[in-house]
Formats: sequence, structure tokens, C-alpha cells
Amino acid sequence: MTGRLLILSFFFVLQACSTGSTKPPDNLLSLTEAQMKIRSFQTRTFDVSDQQKALHAVVSALMDLGFIVERINAPMGLVTAAKFAGTGNSGFVEATIMIRPKGDNQMEVRVNALFNTKPIEDPKVYQNFFATLQKSLFSS
Amino acid sequence: MKFFIPLLLAVLLTSCTTIPKPETFFQLTPSSSKYKALQSRVIETSKDKELLSASAAVLQDLGFQIEESVIDAGMLRAVKERSAREYSQEMGRFFIFLVGLFAQTSIIIPVDLHQQVAATLIIYPEENSTSRFNVRIMFYRKLWKGEGSSGNQSIPPGTQTMEMINEPEIYRQFFAKLSKSVFLEIHQI
Repeated sequence: MTGRLLILSFFFVLQACSTGSTKPPDNLLSLTEAQMKIRSFQTRTFDVSDQQKALHAVVSALMDLGFIVERINAPMGLVTAAKFAGTGNSGFVEATIMIRPKGDNQMEVRVNALFNTKPIEDPKVYQNFFATLQKSLFSS
Repeated sequence: MKFFIPLLLAVLLTSCTTIPKPETFFQLTPSSSKYKALQSRVIETSKDKELLSASAAVLQDLGFQIEESVIDAGMLRAVKERSAREYSQEMGRFFIFLVGLFAQTSIIIPVDLHQQVAATLIIYPEENSTSRFNVRIMFYRKLWKGEGSSGNQSIPPGTQTMEMINEPEIYRQFFAKLSKSVFLEIHQI
């Protein structure tokens, strides 16, 4: 009987600990300096006025890189793609690309890439993508 | 000796799976342009909807189910499910099992059980042309392995791998069927 009472009281104590004591941090949804930096190297502006042309160039670049295009939302300028990477297919890379007009003659392209569900934060990776996209946009 | 073969197998298996460098994910390889040429054709037509529906018809003829279609981006995605059992893999599994018996242990390596063959197709007008469309298709497959065991250690089923299909013949066949299908679709035969 005392054993049961002890377990029961233990549960109450645990529950008391879990409610109200933790509060989400104030800066949960605010932009930090690191996030701004990541955003800046994930984004690049190209001198293209046609969103459809930019979309095709993005899709073409992704296919050249061996990505599988999973989803396209043309009016929004959104492309989602993924590929397995590595010799033993040990990794899974996902990419979301957003294309939106910037002014009358430019398009802003933003890429978010994940490797094994973790965000890639290495600027070199994004530079490589934009180099491939540049070729796809202006060489065809 | 009893532990030697499972150990060797484990070492061999881990040596196969190297973690790739993220910098290479978005880098073109020397074979990228070769694959692009393999996957692309120019079709003489000005009717994008008809071209897309003719492409869907060819994929259906080949046993694919259309999973996604986006007309304003000229995109189709189709899949078909098939068994992935292969005689050579079964023989390899049997051979390894025999080797295991000599070492007084039981090794059953997982073999491919199921596959999903998929295709992503994109059409887009050729630059400065209203009567020519580029068609690009990419075939690939996802494979699922069955279960296995090494000694008392069981290997769970469901390991997934993916590979691109780069056989020129498959792409040639698809485009041959597509040009016929486009002709029939446009002339409403």
C-alpha cells in the first residue's frame, strides 16, 4: 500500500515539474544574426525577367545534378527535389527552391537544402548550386 | 574463426557506405551532360497540352501510374511497383550462406525484394521557338531489401536504396513511343 502511494505521489511530483515551469524563449520566432547570414547565402538574384524561364532553369539544373523533382508549384515559383547521395546511398539530400520576382527585370532565387534532415549551413554548397543554375539559365 | 566471417562481412559492409561531402551535392559531374543528352529530345509541336497528355499515355502504356501532373510547369511524375528478386542475388546469398556453414555460423545477407520504378518528365518550349518543345525524362528506381541475419544478430528488413536508370535503350524506346503517340494525339487518331 505504501509502495503504491509512493509511486502515485511520484507521478504527481513529475507532473508538477512539467507544467508551467518551462516557458518558450522570447526569441523563439525572432531572426538571429546567424539566420540572417544563412539566408543571405541561400539567396541570389539573377537578371531574368521571366519567372517561367527561371523555373525551367532551376528544374533543369536540379535534373543535371541528379535530383528527382518531386513537386512544382508554378504560380508560386516553388520546386521541391531530393536525391540519395554517396556511394552506398547513405545520405538523403532534400532541396526546396523558391523563385520570386524582384523588381521588373530580376528574379530572386532562394534555396534551402537538408542533408539527412539536418539543414546544410555551408555557404560553399549553395555557391555550387548557384554556379550550376547560372549555367542552366544562360547557356541554353 | 566463428567470429571472423561476420566481422569480415561487417567491415566490408561499412566500407561500402561512405558519407558524401556536402560540397558535392550541387556540383556537376563529367557525366552530367551525357545523361542530359540521353534524357532529352526535341519534339516538333506547338501544343504543350497535347504533348503532355501524349507523354502520360506512353507512361500508362508502359505500366506506370501517374502520381502527379502540373500542367503550368509541364511536369509529370509516374511510378510502377515491381518485384526486385534476382537470380544472381539469390545465388550470392546461398554462396555466402555456405561459406558461413564452414565457419559454423549462419549468415543470410539481405537481398532486394521490392522495387518502385519511377519517372519524372518535364516539357518546356525551346528558346525562341513556338513550335518546338524539349522533353526531358528521368527514370530511377527505389529498392527495398528483405531481412537477413549474421550469426545471432538479425538484420531488419526495409533498407532502402535508390539508383538512376541510365541505360540508353530504355530512353530510346520511350522517345520512339512518344513520337508515335504525339503524332496520334495531335491528329486525333
